[in-house]
Amino acid sequence: MKSLKDLQAIKDRVMEDIKLREKDPNNIIIEIGMGTCGIASGAREVMQAMLDEIQKRNVQGVTVTQTGCIGLCVEEPLVIVKQPNKGEIVYGNIDSNRARQIVSQHLVNGVVVDEWVIKE
Amino acid sequence: MKLFRNHILICTGTGCEASGSEEVRKCFHEEIKKRNLEDEVKIVDTGCFGFCRFGPNMVIYPEGVFYTCVKPEDIPEIVEEHLIKGRIVERLLFTEPETPKKSATSDDIKFFQKQKRIALYNCGHINPESMEEAIARDVYFGFGKALTEMTPDQVVDEVFKSGLRGRGGGGFPTGLKWRFAAKETADQKYIVCNADEGDPGAFMDRSILEGDPHAVVEGMAIAGYAIGATKGYIYCRAEYPLAVKRLKKAIVDARAEGILGENIFDSGFDFDLEVRLGAGAFVCGEETALLNSIEGKRGEPRPKPPFPAISGLWQKPTIINNVETLANLGMIVRNGWEWFREIGTEKSPGTKVFALAGKININGLVEVPMGTRLGEVIFDIGGGIPNGKTFKAAQTGGPSGGCIPVEHLNVSIDYDSLIELGTMMGSGGLIVMDEDTCMVDLAKFFLEFVKDESCGKCTACRIGVIRMLEILDRITKGKGKMEDIDLLIELSEDIKLSALCGLGQSAPNPVLSTIKYFRHEYEAHIKDHYCEASVCATLFNSPCQNVCPANVDIPIYIDLIRREKYREAYESIREENPLLLTCGRVCDHPCQSKCNRSKMDEAIAIRSLKRYVTDYVRENEGKLPVPEVKAPNGKKVAVVGSGPAGLTSAFYLARKGYDVTIYEALPVLGGMLTVGIPEYRLPKELLNEEINVIKEMGVKMVTNTYIGKDISVEDLKKDFDAVYIAVGAHEERNMGIEGEDLDGFMAGTYFLRDQSLGTEHDVKGKKVVVVGGGNVAIDAARSSVRLGAAEVTLVYRRDKKDMPAIAIEVEEAEHEKINILTMVNPVKVHGEDGKVKAIECIKMRGGEFDRSGRKKPVEVEGSNFMIDVDVIIPAIGQKVDLTFNGNEAIDMKWGNVLVDESSMTNVDGIFAGGDCVTGPATVVKAVKAGKDAAIAIDKYLGGDGVILTENQIPREIAYTLLEEECPRVQMPLLNDEERLSGFAEVELGYNKETALKEASRCLRCDVKDK
Repeated sequence: MKSLKDLQAIKDRVMEDIKLREKDPNNIIIEIGMGTCGIASGAREVMQAMLDEIQKRNVQGVTVTQTGCIGLCVEEPLVIVKQPNKGEIVYGNIDSNRARQIVSQHLVNGVVVDEWVIKE
Repeated sequence: MKLFRNHILICTGTGCEASGSEEVRKCFHEEIKKRNLEDEVKIVDTGCFGFCRFGPNMVIYPEGVFYTCVKPEDIPEIVEEHLIKGRIVERLLFTEPETPKKSATSDDIKFFQKQKRIALYNCGHINPESMEEAIARDVYFGFGKALTEMTPDQVVDEVFKSGLRGRGGGGFPTGLKWRFAAKETADQKYIVCNADEGDPGAFMDRSILEGDPHAVVEGMAIAGYAIGATKGYIYCRAEYPLAVKRLKKAIVDARAEGILGENIFDSGFDFDLEVRLGAGAFVCGEETALLNSIEGKRGEPRPKPPFPAISGLWQKPTIINNVETLANLGMIVRNGWEWFREIGTEKSPGTKVFALAGKININGLVEVPMGTRLGEVIFDIGGGIPNGKTFKAAQTGGPSGGCIPVEHLNVSIDYDSLIELGTMMGSGGLIVMDEDTCMVDLAKFFLEFVKDESCGKCTACRIGVIRMLEILDRITKGKGKMEDIDLLIELSEDIKLSALCGLGQSAPNPVLSTIKYFRHEYEAHIKDHYCEASVCATLFNSPCQNVCPANVDIPIYIDLIRREKYREAYESIREENPLLLTCGRVCDHPCQSKCNRSKMDEAIAIRSLKRYVTDYVRENEGKLPVPEVKAPNGKKVAVVGSGPAGLTSAFYLARKGYDVTIYEALPVLGGMLTVGIPEYRLPKELLNEEINVIKEMGVKMVTNTYIGKDISVEDLKKDFDAVYIAVGAHEERNMGIEGEDLDGFMAGTYFLRDQSLGTEHDVKGKKVVVVGGGNVAIDAARSSVRLGAAEVTLVYRRDKKDMPAIAIEVEEAEHEKINILTMVNPVKVHGEDGKVKAIECIKMRGGEFDRSGRKKPVEVEGSNFMIDVDVIIPAIGQKVDLTFNGNEAIDMKWGNVLVDESSMTNVDGIFAGGDCVTGPATVVKAVKAGKDAAIAIDKYLGGDGVILTENQIPREIAYTLLEEECPRVQMPLLNDEERLSGFAEVELGYNKETALKEASRCLRCDVKDK
């Protein structure tokens, strides 16, 4: 350990992993419908793809979590993107490919993928 | 680094380990693997959340959901429901004591809301074995800042200005201590961490070491840099294996990262640490004994001066700081002294960690800003006292500290306020005691501890403590003398003056402080051989009898029931309590609150068994038996008032051959028993049978005779040899608010009295509001329901748990659909055409703690609201009707009759007792007053004062005790329809089978050799 910079480097690296334990009101929250309906139509794969893509692209300030059935079983898997001060967007009929695109389009580029939106 | 969607932090502190956290973690790992979630979910071992009572605990992030009491078999459900389906497992959430409220995250739990975490900042947030996670939460940044941006003097100065005081308990300013050592020039200086935590019930330091060892390493490194020490020792007891393991790992990791070692942060500063294990001797927490122990010598204290800062470890300048002190340092250096000073009080900045132990709902670890009130920690954070018991005192400072009684619940927790109360902050053990703790026994416990832990170097401590212990022992066995109290104080002062070290000097503190605040308990043990907490077992037969005001020999009569000897059981009870039929129905049964069976399953239903005995005897003999009466002795006694006190005194006096006449102002006999207690709890017909027994013993009863109006007390005095005044407290207190004169406003006692005398108040179809939380209020409310009120609301200014009414009565009232509004107080009655129309109330909040240990209700400004109402019945308390004292010959105090120890008033030959002396109390207390009066009057009139015959039934167990769990036999109750359509008795009583079953649950605490 030679300087505070070295220490800061460790902090920055590890923070990526543990920041989901901190409550950050600025975080974008992505909820994936994981009721029986969601899981039956492939929500697990969507979840895995989502996590993988976020990591690959090193997207900051995003929390991925799961939620139960909201009654729209026919549109499952559902992905709900909640942005602070921007309301929420519900995507329906998402598969792992679309999940990756939501990361790249919506989260990285800030462009909502209108085609799959079922509720704004 | 792999990104996970969920982190599951499971506590691996010693507390949760003990409740099975290891197995839970194992199961979790297996389940995650089974469900293929290993890439999505990460399980993190973490340190203490402080919520030890409800371990094993875990938090699931990012939601922050806090699960408690998790068992291995719960894991599949958590994984399936929470992690896969996103649904919270409700049943594993924490429920606040005495409420149905479930809290999902730790932020919602009251226990965490008032806390401020500095020393425990990372506990429960990081994996304590991961240095990287500690760094991510800012550990070592303070050390880095000190080394790269500050001179050692600046660091000392920073800590000095922060006002940080030693968290080990003494409270010496840390910065000042450092200054002494920093000034010394020496070839070697040392930093020592005192992790020899030894107070019974204290585990603050252990939790810090287990949950965030790097914070302690950082603190030591900062201290080392500040005073110029290159070497540090952590002296930790070997009985903390987990703490030692994590500390050692932290040191190894810190060395590997270059945080310890040479030329740290390229600053030229070298520092290294070593862990030394102590064998667990309490005295080694004393700093000089600790130094001896590190040096490999016997753990005995050294004389001071020289102080360790000048000459400590191996005669080198040494700074000894406590774990918690050190854990504060990183953040102080990082955030600056100004930040630290904003927390806590001016003279005690910062926070303090406490280990909450004893009789408290949430045992655990809390960190609060200094200046927090003691009551807040116990009631708001700790959830109060379990099982509806009352708070008695809290012990701080362990065996070196003292107790804080209920009247000081508002004390601000800081070093100086606690010293003022005769105790001390101590290292953070906070032991909460309830009504079941005997303070003499407590003093004995701590002294026994010190006796075992004294190193034996000084005579005063080695022998003096044993002498004190012998005195305490004889007091608890009823063999003490009044001089013993002074002797204890004298010995204490001697030991304080002559012992060498802190342990010895502070050893007498628990004795001194219990004498200071609970001298009456010492005196009761010595003079009356009475232990009010029912702890000192040589002083009584059984805890239930000990606490019964009438001294009924409960285990004996329960045994007689078990043997189906009901008549003998009846006589055994009547020997001590002639109103057994009444008490079998309406007694507030203090006996049941002390029943040892409640520690297993549930207290015995003592009152219901007593009732069964009277039911059985009545039914099988046709009437209640009348005891034998001695030949007339020619002396006459007048009793004023036919309530329980008057009836009881008449019973015993008549039995001894006195000619007794009872005068009653009302047309009916029984006093409050008749006109205060509604028919559905105590049928008049049955009460009259009990009164008839006393009549048949020859007691004359004159009704409709108001003493003070019809006959004066002076006249009675002329005609009788002695007079006993037991007029009770029948007059309702005013609320003192506007509108009390409106039609529809009537006092609770008058409402009940009129009802009993046959004048029913018309409340049919009306909206009724009853004000108050005592038994009269509940009785008035339940009576109103039976009289056909459309809606009954009870308003009470405090919390429901603070209601003085019998708990079961409150429950039944709610069952009968009475709407209970708590934390609400009436401020004005609104009327129309001279009639009550609405009651204006204001919401209350809990303010300061009062002397009863309850929060004083304070009005919430602007929260007024109206309740539409036709009838208002205030029942906020009663006072004595002073008619009897027309010419004020009898001295009064606070509106009650003043008597001496022998129940006699200032007028020779005139005695008094019951509610008119004590203020409104219970039936069984009135029975005791009647007994005391009978003894006193007998002695006054030349008798021997013996009114009882001794129990002849042997105390033995001729059967097998029922020691497996077996809940109480429930009392059968009248169905709702019949109940609410009239005044029929609600409790139906046991039958032979259920009574026998219930009686067989007695554990026979009265039999000492089992």
